[in-house]
Amino acid sequence: MSIIGSIPPSAFNNLSINPLEAAQKTKMAAPMPDGVRLAQPTESFGTMLEGLVSNVSDKQAQAKAVTQQVLLGENDQLHQSVIAMQEASVAFSLMVEVRNKLVESYQELMRMQV
Amino acid sequence: MNLISGVDITSGALTAQKIRLDIVAQNIANAQTTRTPEGGPYQRKIISFENELVKRAGGASLETVAVSGITNDKAPGQAVYNPQHPDAGPDGTVMMPNVNLAFEMVDLITASRAYEANLSVVKNARSLAMKALEIGK
Amino acid sequence: MIDPIFQSGNYQLARTLLDAAALRQEAIASNIANAETPGYRRLDIAPDFAAQLKSRCLAGEMTGGANPLQPTLAQDPNARSIRPDGNSVEIEKELLAMNKNAVEYQFLTEVVSGNIKQLKMAITGRVS
Repeated sequence: MSIIGSIPPSAFNNLSINPLEAAQKTKMAAPMPDGVRLAQPTESFGTMLEGLVSNVSDKQAQAKAVTQQVLLGENDQLHQSVIAMQEASVAFSLMVEVRNKLVESYQELMRMQV
Repeated sequence: MNLISGVDITSGALTAQKIRLDIVAQNIANAQTTRTPEGGPYQRKIISFENELVKRAGGASLETVAVSGITNDKAPGQAVYNPQHPDAGPDGTVMMPNVNLAFEMVDLITASRAYEANLSVVKNARSLAMKALEIGK
Repeated sequence: MIDPIFQSGNYQLARTLLDAAALRQEAIASNIANAETPGYRRLDIAPDFAAQLKSRCLAGEMTGGANPLQPTLAQDPNARSIRPDGNSVEIEKELLAMNKNAVEYQFLTEVVSGNIKQLKMAITGRVS
């Protein structure tokens, strides 16, 4: 009881019901350090996705080229073909997971009640 | 598709060593042959190797070994005095083949060792290829 | 955007060394096959490959990707000619070198394989 009693009543003014408000207030109160610029987005999300898809298809084409060389006997480095195929499959599964998450978040948004 | 590395090189070497073993076996079998269709005693056969280029996919060609020829050893054999032998000459000596069993046994062991070494190279190359196929799995 | 996930230093280094190990296996096969050919000098990876690889790593450059470092085969300058016919192959040394190379190759495939499996696990969230 003596602990509670030692808190001055003026301290309760800083506590608010909404924790987000307090966080925002603290943020604005703190000065921005010099030299920090907030990153401005340079490209839209759509172009970023297109870049991802074209990168993945490049990787697949590379793997296909190396594997074709091995199949035709022009290249006897088996491990290069195996590694290229695995890298292409990793890139592809990354793209598939990104798509899954996007679709999931879209569906979540659609489920929200207005 | 050449998936096991160096298999062309090793197969050339295996064939060459096998032929060498066959020649050694022939020499040993005929160590006492005093009559041949050409007349005269059996002449020891010598095998000589040469380089053979194997074209490799991507990069310089490597060499393998191939048999360049099987020739007769011109050194004369021993003349043994044995007048009762059916092939004895007028002075009672028989020309024996110039096959020295000690030399032939050494050749046999060397050829076998070389053959086994090349077999282990191929086995090793195959296990490397199988290990490469398991990357990422 | 995909390429940075494959540019971990050890992964690219292991890929380059894997190329070198595969090439060395072919060189050893050629050496053992020609162990008795007169005038044959033993082959190995070119001696400046190790120095180039090390300098690239210390400089922090990627060893693969746009400017890959390719190993090449060259005659081994350090091999003594032990036979009068000029053949410089010692078959015991070759067999030992083959064993050593086999273990190196398997280690390198483990490194590469481990990296790829880790990426797959991170992406799909499922332990393989």
